[in-house]
Amino acid sequence: MGQFIDGPLWTFSLSVFVLGVIWRVVTILIAGNRSDLATAKGSAGKGAIRTVFSRFVPERTVATRGRIQLIAGYLFHLGLLALLFFAKPHVDFIAERITGLSWSAMPHWAFIVSAEAAFIGLILLWLHRVLNPVTRLLSDLDDHVGSILVFLVMLTGCLALAQAFEPLRLIHLLLAELLLIYFPFSKLMHAFTFVMSRGYTGATMGRKGINA
Amino acid sequence: MARMKFYCDPERCIECNACVTACKNENEVPWGVNRRRVVTINDGDEGERSLSVACMHCSDAPCATVCPVDCFYTTQDGVVLHDKDICIGCGYCFYACPFGAPQFPEDGAFATRGKMDKCTFCAGGPEADSSSDEHRKYGSNRLAEGKLPLCAEMCSTKALLAGDADTISEIYRKRVINRSASVMARGVSYRDASFRAPHSASGKSSAKE
Amino acid sequence: MAKSIFLQSDNRKMHAGWLLLLLLCFIVQPFDSFANTSESRGIPSAAVLNPAAELWRDVRQREQLTNGTSQVKGVDSGVLINAYGDQWRKFRMQQLIPVGGYLLLGIVIGLALFYLIRGKVAIEGGESDKKLLRYTSYEQLIHWFIASIFLFLAISGLIILFGRPVLIPIMGKEAFSVIASACKEGHNLMGPLFLVALILIFIKFVRRNIYQKGDLSWLLRGGGIIGKKHVPSNFFNMGEKTMFWMLVLVGSVIIASGFVLIFPVFGLGREWMELAHVGHAIGAILVIGVIIGHIYIGTIGMEGAIEGMKTGYCDLNWAKEHHDLWATKAEQQGEVISNDKVSRLRDVSSAQSLGGHVQEE
Repeated sequence: MGQFIDGPLWTFSLSVFVLGVIWRVVTILIAGNRSDLATAKGSAGKGAIRTVFSRFVPERTVATRGRIQLIAGYLFHLGLLALLFFAKPHVDFIAERITGLSWSAMPHWAFIVSAEAAFIGLILLWLHRVLNPVTRLLSDLDDHVGSILVFLVMLTGCLALAQAFEPLRLIHLLLAELLLIYFPFSKLMHAFTFVMSRGYTGATMGRKGINA
Repeated sequence: MARMKFYCDPERCIECNACVTACKNENEVPWGVNRRRVVTINDGDEGERSLSVACMHCSDAPCATVCPVDCFYTTQDGVVLHDKDICIGCGYCFYACPFGAPQFPEDGAFATRGKMDKCTFCAGGPEADSSSDEHRKYGSNRLAEGKLPLCAEMCSTKALLAGDADTISEIYRKRVINRSASVMARGVSYRDASFRAPHSASGKSSAKE
Repeated sequence: MAKSIFLQSDNRKMHAGWLLLLLLCFIVQPFDSFANTSESRGIPSAAVLNPAAELWRDVRQREQLTNGTSQVKGVDSGVLINAYGDQWRKFRMQQLIPVGGYLLLGIVIGLALFYLIRGKVAIEGGESDKKLLRYTSYEQLIHWFIASIFLFLAISGLIILFGRPVLIPIMGKEAFSVIASACKEGHNLMGPLFLVALILIFIKFVRRNIYQKGDLSWLLRGGGIIGKKHVPSNFFNMGEKTMFWMLVLVGSVIIASGFVLIFPVFGLGREWMELAHVGHAIGAILVIGVIIGHIYIGTIGMEGAIEGMKTGYCDLNWAKEHHDLWATKAEQQGEVISNDKVSRLRDVSSAQSLGGHVQEE
């Protein structure tokens, strides 16, 4: 079982993840968009790039009315990003199993702080999703499965922090593999597609000469 | 069946720290961990005495009592050992131990004590005797080779004694007897100069000599 | 034993004899307390005389001799003897584990008995068709936030505390150590989140938890447990207020001592760690006991009690019976809304209008 999780299943889930993400992104890109026959009043490319970054700063009413989601969202995403790519065990794992090259990991205390930020964010976000009537209504199974799967991967990772017990590492790895397999076919794809959706809006608006 | 014990004679210990170095070298303990240490009382003053301290391999070890995962065990020779595969690094043994024997490789902030490490009486751990796994986790297993702990073996003044409790008791008793004899012969009171004497008295007696 | 030594020393100088006897009396002394209890652990205890035991007992008795210097640098490395280690061990093994265990078990059994006798406290007037907004969604959010973290911390902490007497006999040492390591790491990582959650809870709920005039009479009448009559109270009753303050005050002790325990690199000595552990454990057992009662009332103990935290709205009749001062005031201010409106605000099937509204936005 352990060998299966560590070997074939890891290769399989990583392939599903990579191929799935490429497939999803490619299908979106080749869908294309209708050619705009109007005279361009501005640069579509510039508008797209502008919007991809400008949307990181929320609009004022969104910031005040959705303050919890904003704070928790940033805590979660930044924390997760930091611990995913800059935690020592992850850097070592990526270097050993995927890229063959490593980069400098953050110190252990920063790893823990980012994990705690990510936990605060994710727990608050999911509770908000369930408790708030509007978000509960808007959420479907995919949202809950995605949230819970990410939470379980984070939780088992935190339980395996001692890095001394093989079963704990395997449970963490198994859940991460399930997440990788689930990822391309779910809303978790927003990690990649947010660039395209923002870019699309930005390009459309940029061409019309509007700062969106 | 032997009951292995350490005894450090404060009348003989000269704080050379050779036991500390020998232990560290023999067992290849991690950086920052010292299974043995020499503590000096009244350093530089009258009545200065030193003691070499490590795990005393208690007959009823407090560390074993408080361990939440029950990772300690006592060998046939009365050596208290622990299983690093079971240890979770909670630090409770360190709170309970009278001698400060348990050590933790502190490799960072936020509770990363790591697995506990302590003196094994050079008896390794639960793995097969003298296996590479045992050596990596616990250091040397000199007892399996019929040798005593290196710290005591290479003590230059034979202050640190290791071995069967009966034997080291005998050696110690002979020492006490010899000392008391020389007290009578030379008028020097070792009792007064000993570790347990009030240090005001010890200065006078050594000055006389 | 003393006799054999005497025989060996027979060939010594005769004039040393009297001093020898004195010395022997000194050497042959009772064992250290550690050696004394070896029978209790099933370790074969030959009557071994350990000179070290005598030496260390002397060290222990002389407080000024326990602090020295050492070339080995580290926390407490110059300290010869751990002064309170024995006391700490006795506290943990003889008081904390048995007393704490039976206390929590007693609370659970007591509540089960109470449930059998008293049953579920029903809403006497039955469910009305009107509701009151009891908790905003933010208040629900932080409640369930602290609840989830508390549950995780409590369960992982109890596993570490009671795992050896309870779980090791069931699953064995190897399997348990995996769980214990997971609990320890999780407990340490989630601990600081409890501080965040407690601060959020404190800021939001402190004003409603300040003791008021009616609280003493609530206490004197046993909170309505005795007898059938309900005792008037405001938004929170005396019991809830006490739980809040206990959570805040004892919780602060737990958090502060927890930080001492998870920062072994701060350079605090063992005495601080032992003290912190005692505070942490007693505080945790107390708070867990109170929270068990809290969960009991919220789930099977009382009809309608959890509604406010689940939906945000509570039944008007329930509010009048349990928090009538608050309910009357809210009713006067026209905060009562009909059941239909609440379900329209909340229910998925009948919330089409709301969903449409959101989509329009």
